Amino acid sequence: MTTKSFGEPILRKEDPRLVSGQGRYLDDLGHDALAAAFLRSPHASARILEIDVTDALDVPGLIGIYTYEDLEGRVAEPLPLLIPHPALLNGRTGYPLANEFVRHVGEAIVMVIAEDRYIAEDVVELIKVSYEVLQPVVGIENAKAAHHAVHASVPDNVSAHSVKEVGDARAMINAAPHKISLDLFIERSACSPLEGKGVYAIWEEDSQELRLWSSTQTSTGVRAAVAAKLDLPLQKVECIAPDVGGGFGVKIMHPWPEEVLVPWAARKLNRPVKWSEDRREHFISSAHERAQEHHIEVGFDDEGRILGLDVTFFHDNGAYTPYGIIIPLITSTQLLGPYKPASYRVEFTSLFTNTVLVIPYRGAGRPQGVFAMERTMDAIAKYLNVDRTVVRERNFIQPDEMPYDLGLIFQDGRPLEYDSGNFPASMAMLKEMVGWDDFETMRSEYAAQGRKIGIGVACYVEGTGVGPYEGGFVQVETSGRINVATGLTSQGQGHQTVFAQIVADELGVPIEDVFVTTGDTRRFPYAVGTFASRAAVMSGNAIALAARQVRDKALRLAGEALECDPQDLEIVEGIVRVKGDHAKSIALKTVAVLSNPLRYAFDESAKAATQFAVGDTSKPPVPEDEEPGLEGKDYYSPMSSTFANGMHAVIIEILPETAEVKILRYVVVHDCGRVINPMIVEGQIHGGVAQGVAGALYERMAYDESGQLQNASFMDFLMPYATEIPIIEAGHLETPSPLNPLGIKGAGEAGVIPGSAVFASAIEDAEGFDIRRMPISPSELWELRRTMKENA
Amino acid sequence: MKIIGSYSLDHSPSAVFAALNDPAVLLVTIPGCQALEQTGPSTYAMTITAGVASIKGTYNGVVELADQNAPHSFTLKASGSGGPGTVQADVKVTLAQSAEGCALTYEADAVVGGVIGGVGQRVLSGVSKKTASEFFAAVNRHLAGDRSTAAVVMQDEAGVVSIRKEATTQGATSLTSLFAGGAIALVGVLLGWLISR
Repeated sequence: MTTKSFGEPILRKEDPRLVSGQGRYLDDLGHDALAAAFLRSPHASARILEIDVTDALDVPGLIGIYTYEDLEGRVAEPLPLLIPHPALLNGRTGYPLANEFVRHVGEAIVMVIAEDRYIAEDVVELIKVSYEVLQPVVGIENAKAAHHAVHASVPDNVSAHSVKEVGDARAMINAAPHKISLDLFIERSACSPLEGKGVYAIWEEDSQELRLWSSTQTSTGVRAAVAAKLDLPLQKVECIAPDVGGGFGVKIMHPWPEEVLVPWAARKLNRPVKWSEDRREHFISSAHERAQEHHIEVGFDDEGRILGLDVTFFHDNGAYTPYGIIIPLITSTQLLGPYKPASYRVEFTSLFTNTVLVIPYRGAGRPQGVFAMERTMDAIAKYLNVDRTVVRERNFIQPDEMPYDLGLIFQDGRPLEYDSGNFPASMAMLKEMVGWDDFETMRSEYAAQGRKIGIGVACYVEGTGVGPYEGGFVQVETSGRINVATGLTSQGQGHQTVFAQIVADELGVPIEDVFVTTGDTRRFPYAVGTFASRAAVMSGNAIALAARQVRDKALRLAGEALECDPQDLEIVEGIVRVKGDHAKSIALKTVAVLSNPLRYAFDESAKAATQFAVGDTSKPPVPEDEEPGLEGKDYYSPMSSTFANGMHAVIIEILPETAEVKILRYVVVHDCGRVINPMIVEGQIHGGVAQGVAGALYERMAYDESGQLQNASFMDFLMPYATEIPIIEAGHLETPSPLNPLGIKGAGEAGVIPGSAVFASAIEDAEGFDIRRMPISPSELWELRRTMKENA
Repeated sequence: MKIIGSYSLDHSPSAVFAALNDPAVLLVTIPGCQALEQTGPSTYAMTITAGVASIKGTYNGVVELADQNAPHSFTLKASGSGGPGTVQADVKVTLAQSAEGCALTYEADAVVGGVIGGVGQRVLSGVSKKTASEFFAAVNRHLAGDRSTAAVVMQDEAGVVSIRKEATTQGATSLTSLFAGGAIALVGVLLGWLISR
């Protein structure tokens, strides 16, 4: 087919609009709307004694001040626990506005609505809240000690506890010829999208309808949640995700308090209301992730093959658990990576702390699991004095063992079964690309100049494309324009391009004619959302199936028009033609005309479609079991997730005096099945690696012992610049997924996953001592060096 | 957050202790202090205009004095809140005789919240020490007879005493008697953290 675009590095269709300032993000909407601002708790744990609004009431332009006492009906109930789980024994959620207690700095207490944001913020400053300050629980150690409780009803601070066993790992470790143990820790970080959250709501009093825009990763989820909270029929609520300036996980949570309160206020006041989050609000009142503490016992044979792996870890879930325990569930399962330990035991405890809540951030529990597994691999290699890649290779699941059932249940409730992957080939490619076998020569050359370098390696497997389903809609207009819609949202991934590529190929039309809408419940009301590297897999396949329906119908109608067998037809560049006889053809847009018999003519195409112009007069204009229009809708719902994988290697130099880590090379081998657009996949990898570098070397959430986040700004939170991000050398291996029609796997999160693991490996290689905590700053590394020297 | 510091003054510990317990002195020496009001036997409300970098605002604070052991030591328990944030602190102040006069040391254990806690934290420690030094220098000058700024005392019908700062060339009356048994001290160390000039 001449128009083939699947697999081509086609430029992103959305970019001309986005890079020329034509994007329409949440704050670009509703300039005349009333503004909401929030008074947020300055304390990590406190009881609210009194809220005094006396001084605030006289401010001109103030519309309303709302506290918990003012909330009505279901708005006053706790926010939903979105993902319950049997292991989540003590799930707790907050209220839209704090009800007597605040449990983290940043929790919303008062909502102010005013003519504009300046006034609203001024009013917030004039409201006086008296607190009885309580002892906060900060950090995993304090949560475990449980001298104080985050929730009085959960005195041990334990929200969830889970033990999973495959074989008898403890007995296998005891009987193993060699055993070692490791204690590991990973610090908090956060998604930090360029655009924070935001909500804009319009209440139509006449029709009793609510239309809201949210900077969300799930417009269908927000719609359903808000309809439920406001006690509105679903049909009376529409939710649209406009251009969204990054999500990375934080915007999959819903409903955020503001997503309930802003529409509630809009209806109450019968005026449009808008709130857009500022940066400090995002730091203290959205969400973080990553903090986990792991203890590992491992037993292995003389070759380094793991006989028993026993992992016990603690997960800091913050003050509430609205998103359930997805993160530790993913950590506990995805920790295994490409390896097949003979037995495995994992126990986790999820703990409440008086800090902002914890929900998935790109990678979602995998970076911690991969860190644990890869540190273990390096420790085994060191113990046996074997090359680190060799130990890994000896533990790999082999290609002929696919599909491989690991005996666990994955986060989607389905068996953890890898569908495909070729780990030995990936490792061979990585070693070749990075020059693994020649590294010692490079090390000596640098050493001769007094420079210290190290190389690290880390592997991961990532479950992508989790269910339950997504849908796709494809419609051919009589102008030749192809409308495509899917319910999940876009936050910059390039969906407008890749979905158009799929449709262009399936339908045989120019990609320029394809227009994709995402995240608009008016266009496609059934959807789950954009998370877990699932959009291309789920919506991509659904859209492909819908396009195939359209193609079938088009060929059937064209076959009737051209009086030939549809099987002899093909569609090329928007023209349906007889294979081998291109003169016999009909434009797809004309087929669209034929598909929809009309009574009234409004243009030339419509004239051709009136019931007096088309059709077989012996049949009804729309035959039985058919619908008017050239369009199709279908859904894709997989039995289980599809597992992508990858391996990263990094070569670093560590400065002798400052212990600063410089990245010399960063190499990625990535296998996400068939690639729709290699440029977009590489872009996803680049962004992921940047966040991996950030999480390994720079970013952390500096909570002090009283639960104050001390670095809640981009002055102090070290998000790396482009200058800190290396040139990324990426190699693609394409092992198609057998699970879906397009053979694709997810790619969105991949790049970030092995970040901490690969840098720890490289730093350890350069310095010679164990690295057990990430991220690591130059001063921490310098201090480690000093203590190692002292102890030596 | 813990801050420990020291300052050397040219006057005896008892003179320094008295000054640090004299609200009128404090009012004119604490940078940014606008007003003081007695709210109980040993509690006072005060208003301070302060800021770190671009985060400025007016704070309303409550100060309570405890563990008085003249002229050796006392503890200041204070809390303040305003647009930019909240502060809660215990400050233990110790005075000792020295060759210069008085060696003063302070240990503050504070929780700084709100915007100031998240955004200004990086500079707080430095700013607080600088402000404390400014404050002690002002106390030192005051004890040496500098009266370029003085306080005005007001007592309303309910008997509530308040003091406001007013630049004057007139000498100011000591107000110690109005605060019998009470003393306000070193609020500058505390709320002064929030001051950058």
